[in-house]
Formats: sequence, structure tokens, C-alpha cells
Amino acid sequence: MNYLKSVCLAGILVTLSLIGWESYLRVRGFTLSYNDDESLWASARKKVYDTSPAAPVLVGTSRTKFDIDLETWKSITGKAPVQLGIVGTNPRPVLLDLANDPNFKGTVLLDVMEEIFFLPDGSFAESSARKRLNYYPRWSLSQQAGFYINRKLEDHLIFLDEDRFSLNSLLKRLPIKSRPGVFVFPNFPINLSFTSPDGQMAFTNSFLRDTSAQHEIQSVWTNLGLLSTKRGVDGDTLTSIINSVAKSVNQIKARGGQVVFVRFPSSNPVWKAEQQAYPRKLYWDRLLKETGVTGIHFEDYPELSRYVCPDWSHLSPADAHTFTKDLTRIIEAKTKWPLQNSLSQNIL
Amino acid sequence: MVFNSYTFVLFFVLLLALHNLPFSWKTKKINLLGASYLFYALWNPPFILLLWLSTVVDFYMAKLISVTEEKNRRRLWLAVSLVLNLGMLSYFKYGGFLLENFTFLMNSLGISFQAAKPDIILPVGISFYTFVTLSYTIDVYRRKFAPESSFLNFALFVTYFPHLVAGPIVRPEDLIPQFKQPRKATSEQMIWGLFLVTLGLFMKVVIADGWLSEPSDLIFSLPFPVNPLDAWSAVLAFSGQIFCDFSGYSTCAIGVSLCLGFKLPENFQYPYASIGFTDFWRRWHITLSTWLRDYLYIPLGGNRVGRFRIYINLMITMLLGGLWHGASWNFVIWGGLHGLFLCIEKMVKSWTRKQSKAVIVEEMVLQAAIIPIRSKNASNFVLALLTFVLVNITWVFFRAPNFDSAVLILLCMFGVITQAPKMLSTPDMLKIGLVTLGLVTTHWNMRNRSVKNLFKSLPWWFSGSVWAVMLILIVLTQKSTGSFIYFQF
Repeated sequence: MNYLKSVCLAGILVTLSLIGWESYLRVRGFTLSYNDDESLWASARKKVYDTSPAAPVLVGTSRTKFDIDLETWKSITGKAPVQLGIVGTNPRPVLLDLANDPNFKGTVLLDVMEEIFFLPDGSFAESSARKRLNYYPRWSLSQQAGFYINRKLEDHLIFLDEDRFSLNSLLKRLPIKSRPGVFVFPNFPINLSFTSPDGQMAFTNSFLRDTSAQHEIQSVWTNLGLLSTKRGVDGDTLTSIINSVAKSVNQIKARGGQVVFVRFPSSNPVWKAEQQAYPRKLYWDRLLKETGVTGIHFEDYPELSRYVCPDWSHLSPADAHTFTKDLTRIIEAKTKWPLQNSLSQNIL
Repeated sequence: MVFNSYTFVLFFVLLLALHNLPFSWKTKKINLLGASYLFYALWNPPFILLLWLSTVVDFYMAKLISVTEEKNRRRLWLAVSLVLNLGMLSYFKYGGFLLENFTFLMNSLGISFQAAKPDIILPVGISFYTFVTLSYTIDVYRRKFAPESSFLNFALFVTYFPHLVAGPIVRPEDLIPQFKQPRKATSEQMIWGLFLVTLGLFMKVVIADGWLSEPSDLIFSLPFPVNPLDAWSAVLAFSGQIFCDFSGYSTCAIGVSLCLGFKLPENFQYPYASIGFTDFWRRWHITLSTWLRDYLYIPLGGNRVGRFRIYINLMITMLLGGLWHGASWNFVIWGGLHGLFLCIEKMVKSWTRKQSKAVIVEEMVLQAAIIPIRSKNASNFVLALLTFVLVNITWVFFRAPNFDSAVLILLCMFGVITQAPKMLSTPDMLKIGLVTLGLVTTHWNMRNRSVKNLFKSLPWWFSGSVWAVMLILIVLTQKSTGSFIYFQF
């Protein structure tokens, strides 16, 4: 075997293939996106120690990642929030982690998406949070270096988006019917969203123009049970959940930290289903009462409830921009925290 | 640091460049040693001290052993080395396990005893580098060779990064002599080394992490039973995963080392084509099995004692071999099952040897008459499949998080529990099926061949294309942060 010819051929084929693949994705109009993985989360987790309410820690689901526009927040307060939201994941383990961190004395904005928030301890919806919480303390120097090297590559290469273009993700999109009775997590539209290096998520322009993709994601939510009107947990399970949240909140407050609950907007039919499955009096109001925490429910403010979510559950980028402006103003009014810096006061 | 990371790629490129600059051989060795410490420290810097301690103590104990003629003194220095290395291993790896079992024992005897669970971090590679240094001091004690006079050579032997954290467990006589003369990879070695790194990463990233880890992890993490097909699929997935992960690591280590001009021993020889368990342990984690043979089985008496003692020696070796893998009774059971199958195989072989003398004449007559000649290849293949199935059964204990889970999976596999949900999707099962078929077929066809000879026989454009396909699949799979399974041992 001619080793030199083999290695040269391999090198040429790999280079041409990757250039071809990247070019194809760019021609198709896909947006650059960063992997929203354990390393990205760990890099954010390191930054939670600013105690100013102007740089809160965002803990929650994808709603907190879509609906709070980090750049807008930063332009208003002069400081960027720390995005610890995890898609499709119960935020309670992350809240507990911050509560148990003796060095954390900052501000938490906690997203309460009832159908995930009020799931019992140990549910499948906690698994991504557990993975990140296990990963962060063991994030070695080598892994950190790898993360920053990968970041430089992700700045330029669309195909490095693991969620959309990894081999497994592409194979999952093949039209292979699964065995009857097996739940297969549905595929999201491939042009749905992108993630920025700071963890911000947003719908792509292509998705916002594509009504068939919007119907596709709505169908995904239907399959995932977001339209279910089955009453959520109650009795001792609910009491236990609320008590554990209260305990975490008290731990944070005892160190001088703050917590605010936020109920982000959703649109019908998801909003209607949520109201039936999780009546406000039995869940949101009870949570606020028993934890003693300030809460901001989108329903209570015309400026927060005027939006229509393209996928019933998340705001568009333009709406997230105005929503964030109004949210900061409302938080400031309710809590008396000095959020707006002098620059933004002149602008607003 | 793991081979499947950008950090390693950068590290390796810089080290290769440094190694090929016109420095003195001593300077190059110091560079390699420094790079090896850096490789380890990037996981957890303080644990460099343990590695250093093991290196320094064993270097000087070996020197003392070699200059002392008095038997008891020699034994004392050997004991120091054994106590230090096995003590470190016992504390870091088995401390929690021992305490847990001690507490259980006390409570079983009606003595109330509780202790706070110690939070002990297991230093990566401790099981490997302690065995490496132990083999050195034991062999010096046995006067197999003189101790190495150069501390640099010895330190490099212990710390040499390709084998440091997950083997192959290299013997001093195989590696130290290579450090004595300047070595640089030829162009053929460099290219072949890079090919081996690609092959290893393909096995780890694409097959083990990309295709097999998720279905295996899902089923083994479930607290409820599953459909028999799902149970078998998960076990086959793990079987493929552990081979591709571990063999992938060893292949990378051998390739990386070859690029630097050094040869490491093979660690796997197509184990899923093994005919019987004796053959399996000549093909699976070869450096561990030979280490256990030379430093445990043979000192216990090996095959040179009575039949009953042979079986005892086998069981002790395999039970301890199982325990080496982890601080859990499941690993002991796994080792015990292998020991049991080895003993049964020895008994069967011994019995058939006695029988075969009696029937050989009879068989010749029968075969000459009407019964067609049986194909030895076909019967060997059937035996290899049987071995594969039994090995998979033992993997259940290796992988399951606890004994109850292992039993549950086995009950599902053998259809004792049938009314259980299906969990794995068709694409997952297709991947597992393809990989299993591919592994068994490849191993069977390659069992007496080498990858190098195979590729030498192929046209360059074919080899280059296969290489390119592996690289492209590695880049597309992108699971770049998964550590290797054997890092936890």
C-alpha cells in the first residue's frame, strides 16, 4: 500500500466533503448556531456570582431562553443576565443547586411553566438538568480548553450544530417508521431556531415566514402533551414541591439573594389547556403565597399579554425585544430594584 | 484530557512538532515527560502528586531491592512498594466500598454503626499506573532485569501519556529500552499511526458514543422491566460499546505512540470471535490478562498444581480481576462468571481429551462410511457464537448499576418477564443490529489477521477512501466530550 497516496487522498476527500457540506448548508439559508450543551451551561454557571439584580440568573425552560432578549436587557441595565435555562427541563434542580451554593447571593428570575415546573421529583424532565449539574463540578481544565477551541470553530461553521446536523440528528430525520408502542421524540423543524454563544435562543427568519414549519412545531407540542387538560399533580406531591421551592428560596434570601417568579406568555390553544390543567389559584397563586416571592404573570399586564406566540409557546425575536423592555420596567416597579442605568433612562 | 477532544488535537500537534525539532534526545524525553504530566494535570492537577509518589518510591525501592542480597530486606523493600501502590489503590478506589460493606456487616450482626460517606475522588488511571509500577518492582525483585538507572527513563515509562490513563498496561522490558535510543517515527509509521488514531476515534466517537451508548444507557437506567428484544438489544449495544470504546482507546494510544516513534503492545485481538473463554482472555484486554497471569495466577501455582487447585487459582484470579474493574459486587460477579466459564471449559477440555483417544478409531470408521466429514470451521463458528452469547450475559453484571437491575435485565432477556413495554425505536435497533453483525463478521474474518496486513493488501485509493469516510463520520458525529468507559476503572 502506498501510505503517502492514501493519506493525501483521505485528506483531499475530507476537505472537499466538509467544504461541500458547509457550502450546501449556507446555500440552503441555515443560520449559524452554537451547541446548547453541558459545556455552554457550565460556562454560564461560572458567572452567577454578581450580586446585582441588574445581572440576574435566568433559571427555567426554553421560554426563558426565547422570551428574554439578553442584549436588550444589557442595553437597559448595563449588565447581561446569566442564562441557565435548559430546554424542556424542570428548573427546580437548578434552583436547588443555587440555593445550596454558599457563594451564590444574586438574583434569580425563575420561569414557571406549570406543566414542567410542577412535575414530581425525579421525573424525566429533570434529566438534562441533572446531567449539567453533574458535569459542571467536574468540568476539567482540558474540557474548558476544548470548549473555547470549539467556540472558535463554531463561530464559522454551521455544520458543527449537533442538534441539527450531527450524524445522529440527520439519521433521526429518515422516514423510518418505529415499532408500534414505542414513544419516539418528535423532530423539531430543522429551521426552527438558533442559539447564540450567550445561550439566547430565537426563531429563525425562515421559520417565521414558513407557516408549514409553524404547523409542524404545533403538531410536535400536541404530540408532547402541551394541549393536555389533565389536571396536574395535587395533594401531598404538590405540597412537597412547593415546600422544596420555598426552602430553596429562603436559603437564597438568607444570604442576601433575591428570587422573582415569572410566568412567560403562551397563546391559545396551549394557554387554554394550561389554564385548565393548572388553574392559577391552585398553582401559581399558591406558589407565590407559600414561598413569599414576588411573581410577574403575563396575564396581569396588558403590555406582557398582547403577544401571539408563533408556535403557541415562545415569543418571536422582535416581540422578545419589547417584552424584555416591559419586563424590566415591571420588575423594577414591583421590587424597587435599580435596574435601569442612566444611559437607558435617557433612551427610554 | 481525552483523545477525542480539540484540546488533545492541539496538544498532540504541538508535541509532534516539538518531538521532531533538532533537540538532544534527553531534551526530547524531558519534553515528553512534561507533556505527559500536563496531559494528566489537565484532568485534576493535585493528583499529579500521587503519580509522582508512585514513581519516586518504586524507582528507589527497585534500586534498594537490586543492591540488597539479604532475602528479608529485599522482601521489605518490595513490601513498601506493594503497600504504597495497593494502599493508594485501596483507599481511592475501594475506600467507600469497604466502608459500605463494613457498615452492612456490622448492622447485620446487630451492631449499630454508621459512618459519613467519604467523598473520595477516584484519580483517573490509578488502576493502570499502579499495575505498571508494581510489575517493575516485582520483576526487579524476581531478578528478571536490572533496575533502570535513569530516573528520567523510569519516570517516562510510568507517565508516558498514551498508556497512562487506560493502558495498554506496558511491561518495563517492552518500553524502557525504547527510551534509551533516539526515536522518531518514519513517514510510514507516522501515517500508519495517524490511521490508527482515526480508526480508534471512529470506533469510540461514531460507534460507541454515537450509535450504541444511548440505547444501552436508556435500558440499563430503567427501574422497570422491558420487552425481551429491547433487553437483548441493550446488552448487545453495551457489548459493542465497551469493545469499541476500550479498543478504540487502545488503538488511539498505539497510534499516537507510533507517531512519536514508540511501539505499544496490542490490547485486543478480535475478542468477539473467541472460541471459548480461554481464547477470549487471550484476545480481550490482553495486557491486563497477561498481567494477572504473570503476577497473580502463576504465583498462586498456575497450572502446575492439582486440578482442584487450578480451578481455585482461576477463580481467585478472575474474582480479583473483576474487582479491579470497580468497587462493586457486580464486577466481582462478572469476574466470577468468567472464572466459572473458564473452569467449566477446562473440565470439558480435560474430559474430551480423555474421550477422544477412545473414539478416534471409531470416528475414522464412521466418517469413512456414511457420515459426512464435519466442517471444523463451522463448528468453531458455532462455538464462537456460543462464547459471544455467554460473554454478553456476563456484560449484564458489568454494566447494570446494581445487582437487582442485572437480574431484572436477565429475566427480561430470557423471557421470564414478557409483559413489559418496548422502549427502543426501530432506527436504534437497526443500528445495534448492524453494528453487532458487523463486529461479529469482522472479528471472525480477522481473528488470525492484522489490520495492517489487510490494508497493505488493498489498493491505496480504497484505503484512502475508507480513511476519509471514517474521518468524515467522526466530524459529523460530533460527540466530542464523552470520556472513555475504562477511565472509571
